[in-house]
Amino acid sequence: MPAIELKNITKTFEEGKVLAVDDISLKINEGDYIFLLGPSGCGKTTTLRMIAGLEIPTQGRVFIDDKDIEGIPPEDRDMGFIFQQFEIFENMTIWQNVTFGLEMRGYPDNYIINKAEETLKLVGLLEYADNYPNIFGEPGLQKLGIARAIAAGAKILIMDEPLGSLDPKVSKVFRHEFRNLIKDLRLTAIQVTHNQEQAMAVADKIIVMRAGKILQMGTPYELYENPQSIFVANFLGETNFLQGFVLKLFEEEKMEVWIRLGGPRIICNNPNNKFKLDDNIIIGFRFEDVYIFPKDFNFDKSPHDWSHIQIFSAKLESSKFIGATKRFYLSLESGDKFISIKPGNFEENYQIGDELIIGIHRGDVHVFESPKDFLHEISLM
Amino acid sequence: MSKQEIILEPSELEKEAKLSLALRIDRFFSKPLYRKGLDAITIIFFVIIVIGPVIYIFFNIFLNIPSINEDIFNDELIGDLQWNIILKSLVNSFSIAGLAVSIDIILAFPISIILTRYNFKGKKLLDSLIDLPLAVPTGSLGISVLLFWGLFGITPGYNLVLFGHIIFTFPYIVRNMKIVLEKADTLYDDAARTLGAPGFTVFRTITLPLMKEGIIAGAILGFTRSLGETGATIILSGLIDTAPLVIVGFRRQLKLPSASFLAGIMIAISLILLFSVKFFTRKVGFPVKKVWPKIEKKLSNNYLRHLRNILAIIFLLLLIIIPSFYILSQISGPEISEQMFAEDNKWAFLYIAFMNSIQIAGLAVLINLIFGIPLAFIIVRRKWGRAIAILDTLLDVPIAIPSAALGFTIFLFWGPQGINLFYPGFFMILLVHITFTFPYMVRPIIGVLERSNKGVEEAARTLGASNLTVFRKITLPNIKQGIIAGGIMVFTRSIGETGATIVVMGGIRTIPVLIVDWVEASAIPSAIFASLIAIIFCAILIILLRTTRTGVV
Repeated sequence: MPAIELKNITKTFEEGKVLAVDDISLKINEGDYIFLLGPSGCGKTTTLRMIAGLEIPTQGRVFIDDKDIEGIPPEDRDMGFIFQQFEIFENMTIWQNVTFGLEMRGYPDNYIINKAEETLKLVGLLEYADNYPNIFGEPGLQKLGIARAIAAGAKILIMDEPLGSLDPKVSKVFRHEFRNLIKDLRLTAIQVTHNQEQAMAVADKIIVMRAGKILQMGTPYELYENPQSIFVANFLGETNFLQGFVLKLFEEEKMEVWIRLGGPRIICNNPNNKFKLDDNIIIGFRFEDVYIFPKDFNFDKSPHDWSHIQIFSAKLESSKFIGATKRFYLSLESGDKFISIKPGNFEENYQIGDELIIGIHRGDVHVFESPKDFLHEISLM
Repeated sequence: MSKQEIILEPSELEKEAKLSLALRIDRFFSKPLYRKGLDAITIIFFVIIVIGPVIYIFFNIFLNIPSINEDIFNDELIGDLQWNIILKSLVNSFSIAGLAVSIDIILAFPISIILTRYNFKGKKLLDSLIDLPLAVPTGSLGISVLLFWGLFGITPGYNLVLFGHIIFTFPYIVRNMKIVLEKADTLYDDAARTLGAPGFTVFRTITLPLMKEGIIAGAILGFTRSLGETGATIILSGLIDTAPLVIVGFRRQLKLPSASFLAGIMIAISLILLFSVKFFTRKVGFPVKKVWPKIEKKLSNNYLRHLRNILAIIFLLLLIIIPSFYILSQISGPEISEQMFAEDNKWAFLYIAFMNSIQIAGLAVLINLIFGIPLAFIIVRRKWGRAIAILDTLLDVPIAIPSAALGFTIFLFWGPQGINLFYPGFFMILLVHITFTFPYMVRPIIGVLERSNKGVEEAARTLGASNLTVFRKITLPNIKQGIIAGGIMVFTRSIGETGATIVVMGGIRTIPVLIVDWVEASAIPSAIFASLIAIIFCAILIILLRTTRTGVV
């Protein structure tokens, strides 16, 4: 039974002039920690606000535990909401902030006291209970925002960029604690972010949104290994894109593609025989999936199995050492450029201008339909 | 976050949850139906109380065209004498208002700069002294000005009226300039100066354009206040007439069609001014972009700057502050006690008038509070598009209209000539005061509401608070400052109002009217005493207003 379900939700603003969310449907299972990921303005925050009842969908239905909650105001939806700007009640003490939701639900006094103490202890703020929130910096306000949202015992937690305002280093430590807390409380959680690294690190599932639509939904691993659009491939991880066309079709859902005139020919998968002869396509492969070998490398003598590797030659344009990693900037004869990433301790003595052998596993090459305006498509990230 | 044992199952206590009575009432009245009802009642109140009378006066003039024509232009005995009186009074009123505002603007430039860009001892005191004439009954100011300039041999007449008007329009102009200057970042100034612009050039080319809206807003307020002023003008006018005095005169002689004709003219002119300012403020620019480096460099030197500041302070003291407070030096105990408590027993009248003033001001605050908060919410929060813009402009109508004319419209609308629901007296005075103070209540609340954070309210809703609970527990504490500021503003304006009150008072007296009465009866010491009480009362309120820390009124 899905905890949250959206059916054909559309939301427009300013009398239909602005389309924020465009006919999306999704299901979220009980106990899942879901991330809504996308660039700013993609409709992810609006989607959250519609689930919480802070916005009313223009069309479509929201179901909680299979119950249609249309017309139920936010105060009766029983969801915790953590805001990007925290939205702490500055005119109340820390204690009053945390007990607010409990009082609104009319719990008896001794229950409120126990529960608020327990929650404040959980986030480590109990000693500040009688202070006003202006003593806190952002991490403190953040913890208070969390405590306030979970104190009243809602089973669904909604978060709008809750770590967005924090210092990146603090946020990195915090996100794991936060995940543990959500799992311990057995909450169904849905969080918005534009930070793909954060989503990859802690999400059970990621929903990628763009321009009001859902592009893809899946576990971080699925999305990373099998992106179904140029946008998803580029948004989650660093990817090289090259333009080409289908040169030959093989059996067993395989094909040969030619990277522009003068470029290499590569054999890659053609799932469901989706692409036809002469189709224009884009291939994408991750920076870290590009192998580099010296020109005279002998694959037969190598201890590794290189049977599925595709090789072609490229010229080293430049390289850059960035601490943990090393980047190699390479160019093909056709003029196309791409990047390979290696660990910082990768041993080599290549010179600028060297001809090198490049290898890519067939399975690491993703093929996409060629969009009308390819450069525009990858620059929108 | 430390790991703790977490209770997962709802305890027995959780099942006992029961909402308190207050929360249940909030929930009940949070239904959209009640909100819509309140919106409707608020709009109806606004239209009937504030807009209705203004529209009605034009209707009334239209109905009375024959008798207006007869009385004003073709009277059997006096011909078009009335028209001549009206014309002359309008010329007087507009020329005095124009001159007073111009002089105020010139003086307000250096004063507002001194008050915002300099730090010195007594700055707060000076600031409060400048604001005080806002609250003091203009009749009291009138006596003070009369006595002060009398020392120099200036007798009642055009000049003395001008001197009086300079004083009570000054705070409106300084205030509005100050608000803009405080908002305008000195960083712009600094940036321009690092680019080589001398101080004077910076002021003229950078600061002045930023101040434009503040100057215009202040000027329009001062101008309309001057046009409508009655209390001080009666005392200072001698033989000349201004338009409000003519309205009061016509009203006393029961020449109602003539009075409504003149009130209609004044209202029409004021409304045209208001709307043209609303629509053109942003389009008007200060024309001179050219720079004269040598002259402006010289003008920017430190001696001239000090000279400017000193001159400004001298003129401030001479034109505004000393004449306002000269009255305090004229208190004479024996004379006061004789007039107050001897056989005249003026004390009894003063006490009654004082109680009337306080009751009327208090009730006006209360009623404007009840309808002002919902109206501010409508203007800030409802998404009604153009309707909101119209409502927002109409809200300024009672401020823009000269108060004597406004008083007369209300007399016509509610009185025997119109709906016939009220007669001149306590309740009609109250009605007038509700009308002309309404914007003073709503504007500050709009100010704080616009700045208040809507996210906090949403947070409270997700925590289970209904709309009304959110209003009580979250919104109200956030906008409290604006409400207090608005309330004090309404109270002080109501306590000091003269012109509109005279038109509708019947047999009832308020303090400002009593002061005018006593001056006309030459009971100057009693008038001084009454003024003193009003001034002390208002000074306390102004100090309260200052301590609420809002720059929105």
